[in-house]
Amino acid sequence: MAITRRQFITRTGLTAGTVLGTGVFGHPLVRRAMAATSNKYTIVLFLDGGNDGLNTISPIDNGSGTLRTDYQAARRTGGGGIRLNPPANGGDLTNLLPIGTDPNTGAQIGMHPGFRGILDGVQGPGDPGFGGLYQLFLDGHVAVVQGCGYPDYNLSHEESRKIWQTANPLYSGAIAGTGWVGRFLAHPSQGYTGSDIPAINIQDSIAAEFRQFTTSVVAATRLEDFTFPIDDPFADDEQAKRDAFTALYGFASGSGALKLKLIGDSGTATYDSTTLFPTANTAYENERPAFYRNGYDQIDRSVARDLREIAKVIYAQEKGTPISGIMARYFQLSNGGYDTHSDQGSNQTDGQHFGLHAEVGASLKHFFDDLGNIDAGLPARTVVLIYSEFSRRIEQNDNGTDHGSQGPMFVIGGKVRGGIYGQHPNIGDTDDQGNTKYLQSGPGDPYLVDYRSTDFRDVYGTILTKWLGMDPPVVSADILPIDSGSASDFWTFANFDLKRSDGGTLFLP
Amino acid sequence: MGESTLLDRAQARHLLRRSGFGADERVVTRWLAQGFTRGDGADELVAFKPNAFKPAGNDQFRQHNNWLKYMLKAKSGLNEKLTLFWHDHFATAFSKVFDTKLMGKQNQFIRKNCKGSMLALVKGINTDPAMMEFLDTVRNHKLERPNENYGRELQELFTLGVFDLNGKRNYSDQHDVFQVARAFTGWDYGRSYKPEFHDYDHDFTDEFDGDPEEDRGPKVIYKASLPDYPNGFGGYGAGGVSYIDQGEGAIEIDRVTEIIFGHTHVDPWDSSVHNTVARRTARRLLEYFAHDGFANVDPTGPSALRTVIDEVISNSSFATTWSIQDLVREILVHDEFYASLSDPTKKSVKWPTDFVVSTMKTLGVKFLGSQAVVPGGPYMSVFTHLENMGQTVFDPPSVFGWDWEAAWISSQTLLARYLFAENVASAEGAGALNPGKLVDLALTDPGDIVDAVTDLAGIKDDLSTNERNAFISYLGGPVNLEDYQERRRKLYGLIGLVLQSPAYQVH
Repeated sequence: MAITRRQFITRTGLTAGTVLGTGVFGHPLVRRAMAATSNKYTIVLFLDGGNDGLNTISPIDNGSGTLRTDYQAARRTGGGGIRLNPPANGGDLTNLLPIGTDPNTGAQIGMHPGFRGILDGVQGPGDPGFGGLYQLFLDGHVAVVQGCGYPDYNLSHEESRKIWQTANPLYSGAIAGTGWVGRFLAHPSQGYTGSDIPAINIQDSIAAEFRQFTTSVVAATRLEDFTFPIDDPFADDEQAKRDAFTALYGFASGSGALKLKLIGDSGTATYDSTTLFPTANTAYENERPAFYRNGYDQIDRSVARDLREIAKVIYAQEKGTPISGIMARYFQLSNGGYDTHSDQGSNQTDGQHFGLHAEVGASLKHFFDDLGNIDAGLPARTVVLIYSEFSRRIEQNDNGTDHGSQGPMFVIGGKVRGGIYGQHPNIGDTDDQGNTKYLQSGPGDPYLVDYRSTDFRDVYGTILTKWLGMDPPVVSADILPIDSGSASDFWTFANFDLKRSDGGTLFLP
Repeated sequence: MGESTLLDRAQARHLLRRSGFGADERVVTRWLAQGFTRGDGADELVAFKPNAFKPAGNDQFRQHNNWLKYMLKAKSGLNEKLTLFWHDHFATAFSKVFDTKLMGKQNQFIRKNCKGSMLALVKGINTDPAMMEFLDTVRNHKLERPNENYGRELQELFTLGVFDLNGKRNYSDQHDVFQVARAFTGWDYGRSYKPEFHDYDHDFTDEFDGDPEEDRGPKVIYKASLPDYPNGFGGYGAGGVSYIDQGEGAIEIDRVTEIIFGHTHVDPWDSSVHNTVARRTARRLLEYFAHDGFANVDPTGPSALRTVIDEVISNSSFATTWSIQDLVREILVHDEFYASLSDPTKKSVKWPTDFVVSTMKTLGVKFLGSQAVVPGGPYMSVFTHLENMGQTVFDPPSVFGWDWEAAWISSQTLLARYLFAENVASAEGAGALNPGKLVDLALTDPGDIVDAVTDLAGIKDDLSTNERNAFISYLGGPVNLEDYQERRRKLYGLIGLVLQSPAYQVH
């Protein structure tokens, strides 16, 4: 059985005063006991509303197939048209940005021009985040996984989001009520218990992918506001109240009733965080003004501001004392506005979809710059996973797109082998709702079927096994159980080692 | 057991707290003096005359606060709890509707119909202007592909649910959603907010029939349209059921609703037939008023949850009368409703609105001014308090309403609860609590004081010796409550601590 933080303190005879004063969690023994996955950071970014995958990663030409022709038939030009154009000669900023070829059709594939990160505050070299996600791609750190989906797709935002977050499309009772990251955090192999805080969500509630009942995930929008309420006129009574509070929450943590235990763990973690987060916040603000003020503030978008909170927590952990009580390795943030039923826009910099991609692009670029400045090795210890609950209808409507099925995912980090993974969906052969089909093949050859979909669980599984080092059979048994059903329509063959068509693995050795 | 069980003090207070906000000591005393049974208590509670209150306000902030103020003073707490339940069930958000008049009108409609016929309630919601805005019925036109938003949620959220208790689909996600969406084309509302039907914008059966580009097929639902469901859906057979057998147009949407309410499913192990809407609604009301602490439903055999659901339906005849009042009454007398008094695994996390309103009512704390400010600390509006706790009425996060139970709990929302508790417990002056009315100020023994305060908060019987001792050691010894300074320091401090404690977050 894993040692909890409290047990460790008790067993090693360290007092609470020692803990707060000198940062015992920085002690190598504690780190080894607590963090089986060492000092890697994993961040999940959710694009809320259903990101239009076909205008995120688009065909530039036909290759040996008809992808570009089909694209042009579905996405028109002119008033309300949302078509993106092939790159002109030289480095233009408003056309598709080439990223390689589709392994199935050989078509040239491009990234939405918004990913260069052009925003009001980001106009040229020297501005924070300039070059955006595309620059990260050119640097070799962005994997684009095409055609990600799941069987029997659902077009309800909430249902589909729940499916991605729980990784449970067929509503299996065995893993109901928990999220895929949550099952990982709660797994005995990770050693987290009770009021440990392995994960932080930058929002006011716990994201469904982090739900579990074993350890504590903290939801916090801004670290600086994370303070425990004090009755000011009677500050001399404060310690007695704090002692009673922590005792009561400690008892609740030991409750056999799940909800009381959850409240006990969350309350304890919250209380601990209130003593740590404001310190972490101040340290970052004081010590990294260039990245704080001239960086995230200048980009001035919510993704940038949320990533900054994550950067503060990572900085606190990297710098150790006196705020090393924070041990969060897993983060979640989200960005809204992707439900582009109308006024989606094409390549205009003030277009809706363009702005969203620019925001994500510039914010991530600056975030990785910040990490690299904290420690040159830090980007290689960080992975960002981007997903959305679904993609959008292949054929556009008047000036936007309706709900659809498969879309791309992104995996970004210094250890990520950039490039194209998975096959582009067949946009020329849609189902009777006008959405691309979920296609799988039998075990063995992932490219056995043309236009094969990548099940999103293969991406999760590759991260869990190849990045976080969990044994594949454990992932299959406890985190991502496979579907039952026919091999062509369901995810019956888990591929937890995604590779490019040239055999390159998702993560560098 | 059941309705003839005599109410003791703990049960009487539980019944009042769960059906309303806080337990009025005068009612408890009267019930006990008159020897009330569970049935007597429930009968008195469900007999309220629905109020026609309409929360007004030129902006979202004021409208929100006006409802909260009304919750605090409403004669029937159950009237408000049911209105809140249906507001969550038919979740409609200001952030899309963008019109407080429409939101207020819907809220009034729900309040007036919250305990009547559920069939009538759903029929009313079908053409409620705020709902028509929220789920795009006003944007559901004949000449485009029908907007599926309302057709989907009517089945998925308001009535059937995606799956029945056996984990089988209740309808086809593609065929039935689309066909029901067709029925709702052509609806709008006029200047006086009365629903209007426009023939010219309605998708009549014959209009697209035979057009190879656009054949929308016969207006039939719940037929065998998926290979896994050869007998169709809802007990209507492989051929399904026509929803225009009584005519098209205005008649059509009522007929769709009636077909949905006639939808049945079969428990495979004993071939018993069950009404799908009745079971799902009973389950949600049971989870709302009692708890969700049942083991996962085993799809292959009987389970405690099924038994309770089927009992409250059959005792109330809900599946034939659709009387919400009768169904709620049967829940309020059921053993499971009282289970959390002795079983901590059957506790339910308090909704933020319940946490706030019950606390204020119990302590006698009042909102201040037009901003509905909560006394104490930074004197924040109740809007801000509740927003931080994760529940803004009139603006649920999505059409799914709020996530209940464990989802109410996060660090961010717990901090908001702690702040509210600290504020109301430490406030003095206008709107603040009056300690002499809550606790006997002659008490000095720390154990007695802790018992008095935890009893007031309704958690005394839930505490272990250790937990009780934690409160006692906070007091640190005898306290002279008659002394202003000591009272301010320790009694107010204790009240705040009790409101912040784990036990007080559940009921």
